[in-house]
Amino acid sequence: MDDGTSQYYFTASMDSGKTLYNLLKSIQFQECAVFCAMNEGLKLTVEEGKCVQASAYIPADNFTEYHVRDDVDVLFKINISVLTECLNIFGANEDSSLKMYYRCEGSPLLLVLQPQSMINVMTDCEIATQIADSILELRDEDVPEVAKLVLKASAFMGLLGDLERSCDTIEINLSPEHPNVSIITYGMQDRSCIDVPKSSDMVQSFSCKQAIRLKYQLYHLRLIMKALAISSKVVLRSSSNGLLLIQLKLEKEDQRQMFTEFFILPLLDD
Amino acid sequence: MKCHVPGPNVKVLARTVHALARFGDDLYLESLSDCILLRTLNASESAYAMVKLNKNFFSHFNHNYYCVDVEGLKCKISMKSALNAFKSPAHMDKQVENLEIKLDPHSSKLIFQLNCKHGIVKTHYVSILDCKAMQAVYTKDLVPNRITSSQRLLSEALGNFQCSDDQVTLEVTSESLIIKNFGDTPTDISRIIRSQVTIKPFEFSSYTIGTDTNITFTLKEFRALLGFAEGLNLPVQLHFEITGKPAVFVVHNGTTIEAHFVLATSKPDIGTQYTSQHTTNSERKRKENSNDNNISAKKVHLDEDLSNQFQEDSNLFNYIPNNMSQNNVRENINNVEKANSIDTNCDNIPASPTSRMRIASVFKRCFESTFDPRIIHGVVLAENSDSD
Repeated sequence: MDDGTSQYYFTASMDSGKTLYNLLKSIQFQECAVFCAMNEGLKLTVEEGKCVQASAYIPADNFTEYHVRDDVDVLFKINISVLTECLNIFGANEDSSLKMYYRCEGSPLLLVLQPQSMINVMTDCEIATQIADSILELRDEDVPEVAKLVLKASAFMGLLGDLERSCDTIEINLSPEHPNVSIITYGMQDRSCIDVPKSSDMVQSFSCKQAIRLKYQLYHLRLIMKALAISSKVVLRSSSNGLLLIQLKLEKEDQRQMFTEFFILPLLDD
Repeated sequence: MKCHVPGPNVKVLARTVHALARFGDDLYLESLSDCILLRTLNASESAYAMVKLNKNFFSHFNHNYYCVDVEGLKCKISMKSALNAFKSPAHMDKQVENLEIKLDPHSSKLIFQLNCKHGIVKTHYVSILDCKAMQAVYTKDLVPNRITSSQRLLSEALGNFQCSDDQVTLEVTSESLIIKNFGDTPTDISRIIRSQVTIKPFEFSSYTIGTDTNITFTLKEFRALLGFAEGLNLPVQLHFEITGKPAVFVVHNGTTIEAHFVLATSKPDIGTQYTSQHTTNSERKRKENSNDNNISAKKVHLDEDLSNQFQEDSNLFNYIPNNMSQNNVRENINNVEKANSIDTNCDNIPASPTSRMRIASVFKRCFESTFDPRIIHGVVLAENSDSD
């Protein structure tokens, strides 16, 4: 077996492609993604106008088989909507097992899908790959983290969903004082304010050293909604430069975990 | 004014706001010493709604919270803002523990503060657009025709009508009530499905008809008020007189909440449905080159009818200054403006002319079946546009 696969840069197989499909769907707000296979796991990254960077990360233990050649970088650009379409090729009601092959630089990504309820049916997909664009390196170790917030994903989704759609900026105030989290939106003529104290049930952990006021485009924050819907826990981290990192954890039935991660750049104060 | 609405009543209030939102674009709030009144009027001023929330609707009610000697605090806010504060009424009682409403006469904001589960506090600062109140004068007690019905009976009856229908006609006699989506005039061929539902008096909780009549009113508002009654599980009382006089729908539970929905009525087969749908239809017919003369003659007659009716209707919603309201006739619905009296009398505003008729007569020759474009040898003033 090793002889057969070692010629490939990357091979992986999975019993159920459903969760992977949902995970990729949740970051599919751009046409193309950067596909990166590392020894620890698989990561797909999309960027929205250099303002939002979203990644889906699937740790290697989610795969029944997972091989990446050590001596090469497995990094390429792929059309993520085509990829999700292929994963869902048997329809939403049919779960299928999945195999992925990537032979070498420039070759297409091969997908072999087999529906679970039908035998002798198999789909081969070849998706063309491109040379990866450079992606923003947003994580800066020198900038200190000022606040970290762990929330229940469903409750946070309820809050975000209730915000007025017509306004475009959202202001998040974090403070060690009560109310610890305050989310303000400005509508056409009205102002709405949501206060969440750290004692609230939806807040699982809260740490904030100094009061901070952050402004983002509401549209950017709304991009996490699909990921929130499939996740159980959400972590918000804010650095002193205003960069917001949102990490979401998806727990599968087999206790394995998949993650999505969003970096959102702040709006500059005028 | 400051008041607290307990959790279960927040849902009722949310349903109220959503029902009012289907009537008008502005919400008028007036606080009196023992109740709060919410009112709205639709854009064409043919439908008005008033909901009275009594003192015991609230767990705490302080009319004189900010200052003592105010008669009635009034404000007008945009309905969109109100809806924003009351999203998803169905789930509201699960999330919201109580609601605090604050209205300071010296502030420009009306404050809705929702205390939710998990210790979350949502505060909406809603801009006050105006400090006027709006009030309609109508009668509901001294009318010959009264019907009380469970909302389910009427909802089920309306279930038989199409979404595209925008008016219904109620034909009442002491033997039966007929709800239908068409009138007696045969000219209206635009309606493809004609529906008619007959309900016998014993189906209603009470049924008193003093004068046989038929009234036509808009379905959109009727559906909205039935939805409101359904949400609160309360019966609907209908008080009305004759064609042209407003019909008043009353939904109340006797203690905490009382809602009046007033709909202008007209003769069957005229109004928006006729004008909107028939226009397209007549255009189509013109393309088919059928002889239009006969039909347009009928239309002229109907249009006159229509404009007369509009004049009658405009009587229903007259804006009159505050000091005149006392001697006003009871059945008229007036807009009472306290701060600024408007002296204009709407009685003489004619219905806007319908351009459709003129076009038909200006280009009449072109649409006759005997017309041959080759016989015109004049200068081409406007060439045919590209087929693209």
